[in-house]
Order: sequence, then structure tokens, then C-alpha cells
Amino acid sequence: MSTETLTDGDGQTTSRGLVDRVRASPFLSRLLSNRLALAGLAIIVAMVVIAIYARLTLDLDVISRSQLGTNPNRAAPNLEYPFGTDGQARDLVPRVAYGAWYAMLFGTVTVGASTVLGVGLGIVAAYYGDITDNVIMRTMDVLLAFPSLLLALALVSIFPDSLGLWRAVAALTLVYTPRFARVVRGAALTVLENEYIDATVALGAADPRVLVRHVLPNCLAPITVQSTLNFGLAIIDLAALSFLGFGASAGTPSWGLMLSNGVSQGLLTGVWWWSFFPGLFLALTVLGFNLLGDGMRDALDPRMREAVD
Amino acid sequence: MFPKRFVLKRLLLLVPVLIGVATLVFSILHLSPGDPALTIAGERASQEFVERIRADLGLNDPIWVQYIDFLGNVARFDFGESYVINRNTTVREVLSNTLPVTLELALYGQLFGILFGIPLGVLSAVKQDTITDHATRVGALAGISVPIFWSGPLLILLFAQVLGVFPTSGRISSSFSVSAIRVTGMVTIDTLIAGEWDMFRSAVRHMLLPSLVIGIYSMALISRMMRSSMLEVVRQDYMRTARAKGQGAKITILKHGFRNALIPVITIIGIQFGGLLGGAVLTETVFAIGGIGTLLVEAIEVGDYPIVQGTVLTFAFLFTLVNLVVDITYSYLDPRIQQ
Amino acid sequence: MPELSAIRERGRLVAGGAVVGGIATPLLMVGLVVAAGTPPMAAAETAFAFGGLWFGFGLLGWAGSVASGRAVEAAQEHLETGTEWTERRSRRAMARIGGFGGGTMVSAAVLGTIVG
Repeated sequence: MSTETLTDGDGQTTSRGLVDRVRASPFLSRLLSNRLALAGLAIIVAMVVIAIYARLTLDLDVISRSQLGTNPNRAAPNLEYPFGTDGQARDLVPRVAYGAWYAMLFGTVTVGASTVLGVGLGIVAAYYGDITDNVIMRTMDVLLAFPSLLLALALVSIFPDSLGLWRAVAALTLVYTPRFARVVRGAALTVLENEYIDATVALGAADPRVLVRHVLPNCLAPITVQSTLNFGLAIIDLAALSFLGFGASAGTPSWGLMLSNGVSQGLLTGVWWWSFFPGLFLALTVLGFNLLGDGMRDALDPRMREAVD
Repeated sequence: MFPKRFVLKRLLLLVPVLIGVATLVFSILHLSPGDPALTIAGERASQEFVERIRADLGLNDPIWVQYIDFLGNVARFDFGESYVINRNTTVREVLSNTLPVTLELALYGQLFGILFGIPLGVLSAVKQDTITDHATRVGALAGISVPIFWSGPLLILLFAQVLGVFPTSGRISSSFSVSAIRVTGMVTIDTLIAGEWDMFRSAVRHMLLPSLVIGIYSMALISRMMRSSMLEVVRQDYMRTARAKGQGAKITILKHGFRNALIPVITIIGIQFGGLLGGAVLTETVFAIGGIGTLLVEAIEVGDYPIVQGTVLTFAFLFTLVNLVVDITYSYLDPRIQQ
Repeated sequence: MPELSAIRERGRLVAGGAVVGGIATPLLMVGLVVAAGTPPMAAAETAFAFGGLWFGFGLLGWAGSVASGRAVEAAQEHLETGTEWTERRSRRAMARIGGFGGGTMVSAAVLGTIVG
């Protein structure tokens, strides 16, 4: 019926152990048979490689500094400068590459911090139930009802200017936390409903032990899906805040800021490459995360994949 | 038949919503760094001058007195005058000039999203797991992934710079003056009312790209939601029964499933309207359209508190009204909601 | 029309939150004065704004739940999202949160008037 089951030929490969393990996990086997999700994964891996390469080999000072005098100003893409140069005569290739590092770094911090906060709140809400649960989760609901970019704009103004991109990270962490809290609470409740947890509690295990030992490992799958889906959104929102002037400080090679400068200073004078390449990399990265995240969600909840007829 | 009590109750709820938002804005602005008196006076102003402004604004009163005053002002929708952006202009006036701009943009964007998103979602669900479905889904995913501040410039580049068929920015050609025929403040409507066809054409040509940019995002969200909602409905028992009775599968889906599948999608459209306003902020920036979105961003940047308060409350008011309209639509589709 | 008992119950939720807020405020103020060296009046103002955040939030959440609670419930039931969000629970939580904020604001205003 479903197209996801692996074909017969797979069992005959030499690495039997791995195949068996993948087969034993319906989640992984479904995910790996989803070509779109794999394409997303490939994009992400490529971006991570670019990011790490840029971080290790490129000198941030050189990239940020104006290179008037050494490079041609606003040169169109050519063999020497494949992405062209910007209004300060800076080569766009290393800048765009370094932008990958910024996107990955700040995206990871944003998603990581909101995951930790969300997991904490979600598990506490599920474990203690009653008033604690109600107050935490309804607060999360209200936060969720706000449009994310507008809420982030409101929160950004609370933090001082001097934080630069970290200001945007802090605001977005608060915006994203409720999404994780909601998912984790749901997953934790299902785990807690299992009888063995009751037994553990009856045997006198302290609260934190029950939470960490039993609840957390069982929530890992939904947390991972949620993190992946939100990673793409976080990168877009971070860039959007930079684009609007609430993120990276001048000169920083972040995609959002390059786009902002490229659009305001270059687009109408025909210097399209200034904003085109940062935007292309941004869009590709986000697409990668969305493809993978979507595939993971389908793999986790195969109900949505049933055929109509 | 019209649910009068339902609408009345919902309109009354606007009061706590606006008090709630007003209180939040008041508290956030009070907790955030920055001194309004210093913002107005400028960095180099003398100490006495700053003190005088502070006294004028009532900033020397205890915060609870300021809060009560502020609530009174909100009730009259009077936020005083702009500090920085439009000095000596009341916030009300600034808003009445910028709000229609954003509304026009959001309405066309939403319209585009609904008109294309719903059919695409249905198509995707009916042809599940075919090429059409895959293409639609990937397209929708791409629509969500591509940031507005990149797709906007791309469209400008293609249609305005290369092909030269649409203007790059603004709302209407600068050779026209719309202030004389202003009725609603929305250029496409005002020019139509006045019967100025050249101006109308110019306005439509200016609106097309921005509406498209904002609409693509909305379309992508709606088509995804419509698809999953449709699949969900199709799987329910009565649909199976209907099919078992021998009607053609596709006709069954369209006839019975569509109405039911629409219900959750309509809720999402309402909730997502807020996201649309966020998108409007970015779109206005890209196309240099001076709407309420760019106004808010600028006001936060320079610390123009009265404008921030005015815009945020206007956003909240709009958001609530749109959701009221959504709920009324909803209560027609699903009468259980009316109680 | 809500009956008397329902009003009394709502009042109890709000009051419960308000009492907690009223008690928490002097603690918060003392904390600010001792730990951060804030002048007492400024501490009262900060506490008031802090309470305002909760009050505004609670009020907004309460109104939101009453306004679109049924619709959200139906949509969730319809999509089988598995969350057990209900309008009633949401309203009750928001009444508490709003009460807490309101209590904090009143308490901060009273204390501020005394110390100022």
C-alpha cells in the first residue's frame, strides 16, 4: 500500500547490521526513502561545510574591511570575482561564505536556547500538571498567537543596541520557545501516562530523575522535528531583523545585512549581484531545513501519507 | 439568522483586548532603555530644556498616574504628537495617512493567497502522490522558504529593471497627485471612484508586484493547510460511506469534503493575518511604500514612543477585527460555534 | 448571562492571583533595592511595569480565549492535533495571570505612594 517500505534488494547489501537497524526504525527508513528530505539534508550538509570552511580559513577583518583600491568597485560577476564586488569593493564570495557561518551559528544558538527553555517548561508543565501546567501552557498559547516578526520587533527594543545580532537572537529565542514547550509537553504527557513511570514514582524516585531518565529520551523525535522546522524559520527571521536594521552591525557579513545594503544601495542602479547571492544562499539554506523538517514530520506521523483512494 | 448577539459579544471583547495590548506596550516601553524626553530634545539639548519636556509630557508623575492617563488617551485614540518622525503632527494624522497603504497591500496579498492557495491545496490533495501533488508541495515549501526581502528584489529586477513592464517602487507615478481625490486612502480604490483611468492604471501597476510578493507567502501557507485538511476530511467515515455508495470519488470529495475541509483553513487564514502584517513590514521596506509597517520599524529605531503606541494598538485592533470577520464566516460554515 | 456562582468563581481566581502578586511585589522591590541599589521609588515603578506585563498579558489572553476559544477548540478537534486545549482552562489560567499582574500593579502603586 504505502510506497515507503524498503524494496527487497536492500537486505542483500554487505552492511547488514546497519540496514537492519535502519529497517527496525520505521522513522529512519521512511525518512531515508523520502528523496526530498534527502535533498534537504544534502543542502544543509553543504552549507555547514561552507560555514566551517569559511570560519577556519577566512579572516573576518579582511572580509569586513572596505577593499577600495585593491578590488574594482561594484564589479559584475566575472571569473575573478564569481559573485561580483559590493559598494565598498569587497569580494562577495568570501562574504557570502562567511554569512553561512553566521546563519548557522546564530540559528543554532536561537534554536538551541529555545529548545532548552521549551523542553524545560514543557516537561515541568506535563509533570506537575494542574495549575503549573495551565499557567505555563496558556502563557505559551498567548505568545504563539502573536505574529512572530511583530513580536520579535517588540522584544528587540527591550535589549540594548550594543548586543548587535545577539539582540535579535535573544528576542527570537523568546518568540520560538512556546513552539517547543507545546510539542514537548504533548510528548511528555504520553510518556508519563505509561504505567512504568507511575511505578518508578511509587518506588520513590525523585522528580528530576524520572524526568531526565524516562521522559526526555522519549521526546527526542518530536523535539528534533520541531528544531529542524524552526531552524529555517529562525534563519529567515534573523535575516529579516538584520534587514530591518535590528541585527548585525555595519560591516558584518551576515546575509540579512548584505541583502539590506544590496537592495537599498545597489538594486536600482543595476548592481543586482550584491543582493542576489546572499539571498540565494539564504533561501537555499531555509529550503534545505524545510524539506528535511517536512520529511521528518511525515516520517513521524505517517497518517498524513495515506493514499486517498 | 444573522448572529447579532454573537457579533455584539465579540465587539465588546475588543475593549479588554485593547486595554491588554495598551498595558503591554506601556510596560514594555517603560522597561526598555531610553529616555523619551532626551529623544525629543536631541543629544545636545540643555538640561533645562530636557527637564521642561519631561514636565510637559508628564514624565515626572508617578508611573501609575501616567498609566491611567495613557489608558484615557487610548480610549480617545489620542496618542499626542509624534516625537521625531513627523514633528508637530498628531499620531492620529500620521496613522490615517499610512494605515490605508498597508491595508491595501495586505488585502490584495490575502486575496491572492486565498484565490490561488485553496484551489492548489485541493488539487494537491485530490491528486495525492502524483507529479502534480509533489510539484505543488515543493512549490509551496519554496514559497515559505524564500524570504520576502529576496523575492521582492528579484521581481523588481526582472519586471522593473530587465523587462521594464512594472515600476520599481512607490504607489503611483509621481506625475499624479492623489491627495485631491482622497476618499479611502487606498490609491486603487480612490482613483476608481474618481474615474481617473490613467491614474488607476498606474496605481494597479504599482500594486501588482508588492501584492504578488506578499501573496505568494500567504498562498503557500494556505495551500499546505488546505491539502492536509482535505486529506483529513477524506479519510473520515462518512466520506468512505459516500464513496461506497458508488459516487465517483472525485465528485464526492469536491461536494462533501470541501466545505468541511474549509473550516480549519478559515481559522488559519485569520490567525495568519498577523503574519501577513509582519510580511507587510518587509514588503513596504523593499518597495519603498510608506505604510504603517515601515512607520513602526522607524519609530522603534528612533524611539518615537507615541508612534510606536499608536501603530501597535492599530495592529491589535485590525487583527481582532479580521478574526471577528473570520469567526462570522466560520459560524456560517459550522453553526455549532454560535452556541 | 453568567450566574452568581460563576461570577464568584471568576472573582476567586482573579483574587487568588492578585494576593500572590500583592505579596510578591514588596519582595521584588526589596530585592531591587538591596541587590541592584535601585532607589525605592524607581523600584516601585519597575515593579508596576513588571506587573503591567502580566496584567496586559492575562487580559489579552482571557479576551482571546473567550473570543476565539470555541473556534480553536473545534479546529483542533477537527485536525486531531491531540492537544487538549480548552477555552475554559485557558480562561481560568488567564484570570490567574491577569490577577497576579493587577495585584502587583496595585501593590506597587500603594507601596510607591508610601515610600515616595
